[in-house]
Amino acid sequence: MVKQELIQRSPVRIFEKSIHGGLGAGEVGIISSQSGIGKTSVLVQIALDKLLQTKKVIHVSFTQHTDYVLAWYEDIFDEFVKKKNLENSREVKNELIKNRVLMNFNQDGVTGEQILKSLRAMIVDGGFNADALIIDGFDFNRMSRERIAGAKEFAKELGFSVWYSCTVKSDAPAYDKKGIPLVVTDFVDLVDVVIVLEPRQDHIALTVSKDRDTYNPEHMDLKLDPKTLLILT
Amino acid sequence: MGIDITKMRNIGISAHIDSGKTTLSERILFYCDKIHAIHEVRGKDGVGATMDHMELERERGITIQSAATQVEWKDYTINLIDTPGHVDFTIEVERSLRVLDGAILVLCAVGGVQSQSITVDRQLKRYHVPRIAFVNKCDRTGANPFKVRLQLREKLGLNAVMIQIPIGLEDKLEGLVDLITMKAVYFDGDSGTELRYAEIPPHLKGDAEKYREELIDAVSLFSDELAEKFLGGEDISEDLIHQAIRKGTLAEQFVPVMIGSAYKNKGIQTLLDGVSNYLPNPTEVKNYALDLDHGEERKELISDEKSPTVALGFKLEDGQYGQLTYVRIYQGSLKKGEELINTRARKKFKVGRLVRMHSNDMEDITEGAPGDIVALFGVECASGDTFCGGGLNYAMSSMYVPEPVISLAINPTDKKSADQMAKALNRFTKEDPTFRTFVDQESNQTIIQGMGELHLEVYIERMRREYKCEVETGMPQVAYREAIQQRSDFNYTHKKQTGGSGQYGRVAGYMEPYGDGDYEFVDNIKGGSIPNEFISSCDKGFKEAVKRGSLIGFPIVNIRCLINDGASHPVDSSDIAFQLAAIGAFREAYNKAKPCILEPIMKVAVEGPTEFQGNIYASINQRRGIISASTEDGTFSRVEAEVPLSEMFGYSTVLRSLTQGKAEFSMEFEKYGKVPTSISEALVKEYEEKRRKEQGR
Repeated sequence: MVKQELIQRSPVRIFEKSIHGGLGAGEVGIISSQSGIGKTSVLVQIALDKLLQTKKVIHVSFTQHTDYVLAWYEDIFDEFVKKKNLENSREVKNELIKNRVLMNFNQDGVTGEQILKSLRAMIVDGGFNADALIIDGFDFNRMSRERIAGAKEFAKELGFSVWYSCTVKSDAPAYDKKGIPLVVTDFVDLVDVVIVLEPRQDHIALTVSKDRDTYNPEHMDLKLDPKTLLILT
Repeated sequence: MGIDITKMRNIGISAHIDSGKTTLSERILFYCDKIHAIHEVRGKDGVGATMDHMELERERGITIQSAATQVEWKDYTINLIDTPGHVDFTIEVERSLRVLDGAILVLCAVGGVQSQSITVDRQLKRYHVPRIAFVNKCDRTGANPFKVRLQLREKLGLNAVMIQIPIGLEDKLEGLVDLITMKAVYFDGDSGTELRYAEIPPHLKGDAEKYREELIDAVSLFSDELAEKFLGGEDISEDLIHQAIRKGTLAEQFVPVMIGSAYKNKGIQTLLDGVSNYLPNPTEVKNYALDLDHGEERKELISDEKSPTVALGFKLEDGQYGQLTYVRIYQGSLKKGEELINTRARKKFKVGRLVRMHSNDMEDITEGAPGDIVALFGVECASGDTFCGGGLNYAMSSMYVPEPVISLAINPTDKKSADQMAKALNRFTKEDPTFRTFVDQESNQTIIQGMGELHLEVYIERMRREYKCEVETGMPQVAYREAIQQRSDFNYTHKKQTGGSGQYGRVAGYMEPYGDGDYEFVDNIKGGSIPNEFISSCDKGFKEAVKRGSLIGFPIVNIRCLINDGASHPVDSSDIAFQLAAIGAFREAYNKAKPCILEPIMKVAVEGPTEFQGNIYASINQRRGIISASTEDGTFSRVEAEVPLSEMFGYSTVLRSLTQGKAEFSMEFEKYGKVPTSISEALVKEYEEKRRKEQGR
């Protein structure tokens, strides 16, 4: 399979269809689940899909050392190569790497303002015109209406979309009736898409809780393979 | 002999530049009674620290050459290797690491885990060197050993655990609490030579209990007995804790964190106790050699003086009495007058003068024990050579030597300098395998090659100072390579059949990109169209052809040449005829194979205050660099990028001015990468002009 085919046949296409063509510039999406279900994996797959299309991605992580994030990309890319039989994978990979920057922040030491400042420095001074921002491991208990509004505005100004991961506790009710994580309810109007991952018997189901103005739209016909954590169609 | 091997420690001191490594080495020498006065690095008394014995180092305040030195601490013998901190001299670091059994990883209590700490730690991991972390400079403003401990865990992934905590910090640093004996330790008297043990100050009792609990919990993994006592709430003896820490440290699963301030003479004696207690003795480290008589089979060496000798010459120096070779003895002993063989040169030699080194002084000895580090005089060898006795033919596994990535043309300014230059270069290349030199046949200039700008600068400086040799230097040149991007066929006939003995050979096949190495030759000749005896002639011809590419005259890499057809003549075919046929075939096909230029790409890490981040990003962006990652924790950030070496010249000056001198960078060779078209065109043009000029002469 060549790169072009890989892009066309990617399960991410179906994923985007279910949310009306994916996120646009200035839009914010959240992928929510308990820890260890596969949020990072889904984010990395969204990022890799963008990278394959030679779009630029900044992957921000709050919990994992950049080396670990790197390992995620390596593993998932290798799974892709194995599964889809990708031709000249070495060259493809070398090309991808040029369009990806990993940024790691310590959430206790770095303010929201500082994060935006650093991102601006990367995009403007570093000449890195990101198409998408992946934000993994951010603690939503620290999120406020102002903060997410600020992030959204910033994304709009610089023209990229944002995917957050949101970890919910497993020992208490975590979602409201509409399937929105309780930590998000206060500013859910500012979030464009919410997707929830839930472990089932032999797979992990992806459900859309919010798609722009629609709550609980059609069931997303996608699941994760619990072993590889890859999106299956 | 009189040396008890289990009481011997071969250790190195590895650190980020400016974490106070030289001061620490100096203090260690002092407390072990080897010197009788303390001098500071760049000291006001103009004497300079004893370990930095080269004038150049005294001026720059950095340690370039490692010196091995032996000290006695209580009943232990410690061989101390001072390793250079600058990344351009990593070969020196690597070489020292090869002969060490354990290391002290020095960290600055303010700066914490910095870029070179990461490089050094990676090297320690590569050579499986167990380590103690010493958080130095606890007297400085902003010192926070607990934060450093956290960074050791997070940035380096080490299981770092406090075994001491400070009493006071910054200018109020008084001493430390030993969490194993649960006593306060103070360093009294002039130069802190008198240790005073006392009760833990009341306000630190709670903290001490907390950190001790953490320590016991962490080491209980390494001792069942300790774990049982811990769970049963029984008293745990100091010995039991020491043993458990030692076990964890040797297995590289635990790193004890010790603290102090070398400058203020605090925590050095306790650190030396730590070295004795937790770092391995030579018998506890597995060392292997390759048996050259049995296809390089790995053989484990035994630290036993009765076994045949195996020793490694890991460092050369020119002293006043001729060449001095530092040797680590791995097996058997080294006796004066004994005959050994240098297995690389296949030469026998007699062990002449044998000494133990102390920085710049030495003492004569008659015998060295296994595990010991000694020095020999007057042995002809290169660094990395193995010396064996008793008929063994072993080589210590070769040290990893990176290829040089930068070159510089040098011209002596007068006749006297020219003679001296040859002497200097001869010595430097023997000492340092990453430093190379050759005469460029086209321009007739002497070229030196090395691992970075500073690396070459230091050697030029040393020529001037030590050899009174003045040279003019050209512009630094990057070591480019050429490569092909597609398959290209050839079918070439070389013939010369006019008068005298003729030459005839036809070679056909193809060349193609080859990802797994620099060059591969494949013989696919069926039915003897090229006679067997000339196959190797074709290989030779191709090898000759790849030495200089036609684009810019640099070596061609990642290429496979395959031959599958050809023709010969019963009389006129010869070795040389087929070599020339292969060269002709190569040239015919090369330009059709989409040749391109490759350049060395460096892995660059820049660290500095977050406020300058924009400037740092911009400076990398301007240098055709690709930022791969950035890490921020509050005020400090670290940026990792891949940048072409040709764009990194003068970066240190630029970075200094961009960040008010507050940021620093380190770099190492990462890979070769394709040069962008615009630059490659300029390089080709430049090369063609140069050729035209030379031909016009």
